[in-house]
Amino acid sequence: MVDQHTIEAVLAGDQDAWDVVVKRFGPLVWSVVRAYGLSAADAHDIVQGTWLRLVESLPGIRDPERIASWLCTTARREAALLLRRTRSEQLTAEPVEPADPAGGGYAADPALAVLTADEGRRLWRAVEGMNEPCRSLFRLMATAPDAGVHQLAGRLGMPTGSYGPTRRRCLDRLRALLVPQEAAS
Amino acid sequence: MTRRPSSGAFDDAALIAALRLAAGHDPVPDEVAATARAAFRLRLPGAATALPLPVPAASGIRSTGRAHLLRFGADGLTVDLDVDSSGGLIDLAGRICPPPGADARVEVRTPCRAESRTPSPTGQFAVVGLPPGWFSVVCHRPERPPVATSWTRIRPE
Repeated sequence: MVDQHTIEAVLAGDQDAWDVVVKRFGPLVWSVVRAYGLSAADAHDIVQGTWLRLVESLPGIRDPERIASWLCTTARREAALLLRRTRSEQLTAEPVEPADPAGGGYAADPALAVLTADEGRRLWRAVEGMNEPCRSLFRLMATAPDAGVHQLAGRLGMPTGSYGPTRRRCLDRLRALLVPQEAAS
Repeated sequence: MTRRPSSGAFDDAALIAALRLAAGHDPVPDEVAATARAAFRLRLPGAATALPLPVPAASGIRSTGRAHLLRFGADGLTVDLDVDSSGGLIDLAGRICPPPGADARVEVRTPCRAESRTPSPTGQFAVVGLPPGWFSVVCHRPERPPVATSWTRIRPE
């Protein structure tokens, strides 16, 4: 857990406290960057820069509640920047301006929401309730993060050219399933 | 009553990240976690972070067609950097305005090494052969807090 005490210790120069922050939010930063479809080397580079930027910015952040959203925003901005410079891939999403994290939950950022195990389970329950091919597509996308489009399409039994549009439709459906629940609660 | 989220509520990449994070099948590689932990060794307590500023069109420190110009500023200091690449490595030529004085020291840092220079009376310095990746230039001034340029990523063209 990362609380005010942890942050104060980090600011005082405690490496162990920093390691706690890295352990807690490392998977978040990695997943956020990987979702842009960067190579492993580029993803590593962007993750490294995100943490270097946190080292320099932490004295101005201080609030443990803000760190996760700050990391997400910074990692996304750098990943999107790199992608714009190097992209030739069709299947990567165009970044949008980061949503206001004050809204909380999925409406703000699903990657932040699933930092709690309950929200992670809720997300996958929504997926399990979807029809095919979306359910299989998401399962495959999550369990084979390094698979290429050709391979994913093959395992789903669809032409390579159909994977991108299908994935987009499935993501739109999942988004529609998640957001109204959030608005109603 | 609409089934559609408001436009841009979150993008596809955010949703993909959430699915993978919650599924837990893409753990952080050890070397990535190691560089994240090691980033802390580069902290500079009390330093002012110089943020990027727009670069006027004709402010080159030297005039090579391939060079990339960057400008950072904080605490009354401007750091101009002229970034060039040769043979896969990065060369930096920089100028600090106003010149920080004879007792100042300029340090060019990457995650794996640091090079120290004494700036010229006009505030100029140069470092050649840096590895591509993240770097930060720090101006250490006697009796003033250091000024460090925000970590910036450079790769050879």
